[in-house]
Amino acid sequence: MGEPVRPGGVRAAALVRNPAFWVVIALLVAGAVRIAQITWRFFEMYPIATLTAAGLFALLAVPFWLFVSELDFLEREPPSLRVVAFAWGGLVATTVSIPASTALDNLIAKLGSPGFAADWGAALAGPTVEEIAKTLGVVAIVLIARAQVNSVLDGVVYGALVGLGFQIVEDVVFAIGAVALAGQGDQIQPVITTFLVRGFLAGVWSHTLFGALAGAGIGYLVVNPDRTRRHRIGMAALALFGAWASHVLWNSPLFRDGLGNGALALLAVLVFKGLPPLLLILYLVRRAHDREAAYYVAKLATLRDPTLITENELKVLGSGSRRAAARRHAAAQAGRRARATVRRLQRAQARLAVDLSRSEGMADTVSKVREHRARLEELGHPEAVEGTPSVWHTVSAVGTTAVAIAVVWVALSALGGG
Amino acid sequence: MGRVTRSQHTDLPSTLGLPLALVLVLVLAGLAFGLPLVDEAVPAQRAIPDGAAYEVGAGVTLVPPPGATLDVTGTRPAEDRGTVLFRIGPVRYAVAVQPFDGDLTAAAVRLRQRITGTSGYQVTGTQLAVSTAGGLAGLQGGYTAGNRGGRYAVFVAHGLTIEVTVSGGDPDLARTLPAIDASTRTLRYEDR
Repeated sequence: MGEPVRPGGVRAAALVRNPAFWVVIALLVAGAVRIAQITWRFFEMYPIATLTAAGLFALLAVPFWLFVSELDFLEREPPSLRVVAFAWGGLVATTVSIPASTALDNLIAKLGSPGFAADWGAALAGPTVEEIAKTLGVVAIVLIARAQVNSVLDGVVYGALVGLGFQIVEDVVFAIGAVALAGQGDQIQPVITTFLVRGFLAGVWSHTLFGALAGAGIGYLVVNPDRTRRHRIGMAALALFGAWASHVLWNSPLFRDGLGNGALALLAVLVFKGLPPLLLILYLVRRAHDREAAYYVAKLATLRDPTLITENELKVLGSGSRRAAARRHAAAQAGRRARATVRRLQRAQARLAVDLSRSEGMADTVSKVREHRARLEELGHPEAVEGTPSVWHTVSAVGTTAVAIAVVWVALSALGGG
Repeated sequence: MGRVTRSQHTDLPSTLGLPLALVLVLVLAGLAFGLPLVDEAVPAQRAIPDGAAYEVGAGVTLVPPPGATLDVTGTRPAEDRGTVLFRIGPVRYAVAVQPFDGDLTAAAVRLRQRITGTSGYQVTGTQLAVSTAGGLAGLQGGYTAGNRGGRYAVFVAHGLTIEVTVSGGDPDLARTLPAIDASTRTLRYEDR
């Protein structure tokens, strides 16, 4: 593989002159109209349940959005494109998937049998339609802002955001479907149950994850011009197949029977069907992240200017956990203002790395970095580096993990009947 | 690095924006409209033998009305639940079985709420008690939706609810309801 990053940026003026941009906007408007119609119908029938579902699943989007943003710390994607990706998933991919999945499920029953469709219809129809519709969202981003997709990680970010938009809208639709099926009027209990199952337990290994994998393939296709076209298309197809296969495994009837109905059975299903794709995809995303981080850190290392970035800060900047540790250390040493300033310094250093890679004018960014450095020096904490891990932080991390496991166990027991 | 070469600029997909965007639209249209068209083109109805019991799912069986066909798009059998959709000409005759932990009254309320939750649907008249030859007790009522009429029946047995819904134009319903009622009376639960 060549360089992990293919530098480039896009300007808003260039965007609106691109005919593909208007094609994508037209698709987003059409999707928005369709989803608004569906939502209005839900709202007329079940107003409280619809608002509750929209609110709960919108909240669920927050941690995913923050995680993706942190992943994207060094070379941040423009908010407008991130919104387009999210909207594609929530408006276009869902609009297309609703009739297409139903049609494919019907065809499976017609060409196979109703029994086969009952077992495998959801496992085959949904992933086949949805993974294609979502991946086209990353292709759409490439078409309207090709220069903005300049690493595999950018493909991961856009793919994850498309998946996140899809996941949130689909979850709301499922929640209202559960309310209708319950036949008890405008109740929120089915919404809460759907939130626990689809948002809390199944949310981690859902569309955001599958979208990230397919997006990585599109990223690879775009940023490796030194590879043959066949190789790159093959890799993109392999990533899409991986996303499809992970989705099929998750939706499949495997392990559905024979493990009982208790919490342990539910946990086994989560572990066997969800964990392998989760670990594989997280590994690939981590690799893409580390390759991009190494590239930008190497760019900054060429500056050899400790007023811009020190040797120790170079070691910190490429890792999300180390950046966070440096902010905690600043807070412990010099208070909350130092913490905020370290964050601003890290952002400015990341911006500087991107400017360096694009050979763009760096004067503004350089003065910003120096401004934050001067502020840190005033606060008595001149370098944004990690401290020695504190006992309190370790205890806090263990405690948080224990609470998370306990919450998951309670949810599993409540839902699994154990 | 830092310079974008001419070969990179002419690399796919950067120079093919509009044509590729139109291909993207075509793929989406193929999914959203093409697949449903293919689905409609493939027949959904299957002949079923007259007089033979049909298993809906979870041990619930019934004998379909004479001349009925099985619509595979509304039929999904499973171990613990199931649905089946028969068609008698233009009349839909659907049976759904699913786990349920309430009583018959609660099951009837639930089904009526689902019917009236659909825009334009109204429940008509009062509910009547019905029973099947296999000893299942249930409730039956009617509903309307525009120029279509409908009949529902619901039974509760062995932790399951069995919901029957029939819909069609009034003349067709009048013609087929006796056979459908006879079929509903053959509903039976067999413990497995």
